Amino acid sequence: MSDPLIALFAEVLEVEATTLNDQSAPDNVEQWDSLAAMHLVATIEDKFDVQLSTKEMMKMHSIGLAREVLKSKDIAV
Amino acid sequence: MNSPAKKMNIGLAGSFTVDPLTCYLSKELEEVELSVAPYNQLTQLSFNPENLLGAQTDTLVVLWRLEDVIPDFQNAQDGLDAFLATLKTLRDIYAGTLIVGTPPYPNVAEFEQHDLQQPQTGGLLYHTLLQQFLNDVQTVEGITLLNFSGLIDTIGQANAYDARKYYMYKNPYTEQVWKDTATQIARVISAQTTPAKKAIVLDCDNTLWGGIIGEDGMSSIEIGTDFPGSAFQDFQKHLLHLRAKGLFLSVASKNNEADVFEVFDSHDGMALKRDHISAWQVHWNSKVDSIQAIAKELNIGTDALVFIDDNPKEIAEVQERLPEVTCLLVPEETAYLPDLLKNTGLFDIAHMTEEDGKRADMMLAETKRKSVDQKAMSEEDFIKSLELNIKVFEVQDQHLGRITQLINKTNQFNLTTIRRDKNDVEKPHADEDTILMGMSISDRFGDYGLVGVAIIQKRQDDIWTIDSLMMSCRVLGRHAETSFLAKIAEAVETRGGKILEGAYIETPKNALVKNLYADHGFNADGDKWVIETSNIKQPSSDVALLLELNT
Repeated sequence: MSDPLIALFAEVLEVEATTLNDQSAPDNVEQWDSLAAMHLVATIEDKFDVQLSTKEMMKMHSIGLAREVLKSKDIAV
Repeated sequence: MNSPAKKMNIGLAGSFTVDPLTCYLSKELEEVELSVAPYNQLTQLSFNPENLLGAQTDTLVVLWRLEDVIPDFQNAQDGLDAFLATLKTLRDIYAGTLIVGTPPYPNVAEFEQHDLQQPQTGGLLYHTLLQQFLNDVQTVEGITLLNFSGLIDTIGQANAYDARKYYMYKNPYTEQVWKDTATQIARVISAQTTPAKKAIVLDCDNTLWGGIIGEDGMSSIEIGTDFPGSAFQDFQKHLLHLRAKGLFLSVASKNNEADVFEVFDSHDGMALKRDHISAWQVHWNSKVDSIQAIAKELNIGTDALVFIDDNPKEIAEVQERLPEVTCLLVPEETAYLPDLLKNTGLFDIAHMTEEDGKRADMMLAETKRKSVDQKAMSEEDFIKSLELNIKVFEVQDQHLGRITQLINKTNQFNLTTIRRDKNDVEKPHADEDTILMGMSISDRFGDYGLVGVAIIQKRQDDIWTIDSLMMSCRVLGRHAETSFLAKIAEAVETRGGKILEGAYIETPKNALVKNLYADHGFNADGDKWVIETSNIKQPSSDVALLLELNT
């Protein structure tokens, strides 16, 4: 029952998936710095086969917001 | 790909963000420790590589773009000369292996079209600059080139450049570029650290020619100017090219010796002749026996051999019994055969032996000592050459958006890391006992815009507290913080302040500014740092510095 988006963030940020939820954001996850953000975008694009606009990249300030962005692109996660 | 067993420490630096290389490189090379320098600080890197990388490294890879290091393409020559001087300084100071990329075709307006007519723009200027770089860099001893521009050409501009990532992260390239660059870097490094291959062991039937000489005979084997014979001939020509570079060619074939010699001696289509082959093993014994006999005859180790055969069983057997031999299977598609040995990294460049490497290191350490003395003033000179222009000002409404962004995004150069939303920023902005200050910077490389924020509050009487102080990492390494603090003190004085105090609140990311207050003359007082405004460290007189206050 693992959440694929949480799993992706956990892998990229190198943290336990159990420590993450939709409220997880750069401010409360130490590993989530600008380089990690860049890595997250690359991984999301690769894994879900999408192209994110810069607006969408900037919007993804938490896992929940990333989920919304992906939903708006018809990717159910 | 062979990976050296010893743990390597590799530093990465670029005029743009090169961090994506780390994940691909750690897949390419086992046992590797990677450190990345902050982007676009190659000049600072050349003064003190260890400091910028935060670690001791034995190899340093530098990638750069013309548009990042040349401030003005009207004076491209000067810009390139300055960059080459930086590379020379870096080579003098750095004791390890230095690998430098070639610059790709620029992605800026001046180079919009592949214009080969105008000497001042476009393709012609690019080729002139590239040519000059290649010529000049050869005169600096001890720089290994990485064909980064060639790699981008192979991928194609359109597939290599990603404008979104460039604007978001100063990372101009697609994942494809990073992946291929990591492969190239790994090859260059392996070529320097693993023993070079010295000889190639070749099968004959369906490797050097099409068909089987013992069955098809001279008239039916395929070798010559018509395809597929032409592909075998081109492969032979490549082998001859490698022979000219110093490699031994040898033959291990299960055949009658007389049949094979006849082909080498009298087939017109053969580019390889009998004399080109340094060792022959043509009989019906195993290939493993043949390979060992060839190594013995040539007086080299079996680990210096590359074995090429079209039979997967032979390849598997050699790989099993002689794992140190590099085995290559002839591709099923004959058209791909001529490229079999291209870009393998097995033979190319700088095959340094361990002793050569040590000798080079000792000589470099000596040069390093000398150049440190000679260059004691050079960081100052560098700062001077930047022609820094710094403006410190009291924030206007128009700046609040950017200010809020800096307050919430800055991690490294941030003394207290107090986050505030836009409303919280507007409040101190309106309060008369608070000064909200910004700093904008430009230098001869360009305008960096609003890159610093400070919030200073009156605590009591003439004592003012620096509540927040931060600076964007894009302007690190220019001592801009000294200018900022000096002007903050001056602003406080205009409000009747005489004492300035501040705190350093440690976070996992802000170790960079741990000693900021101490370095600027502040004295420790419990958790705080305190200074009389008149005692604050003054910036270099080479900086054009301006303070603007609301009246």
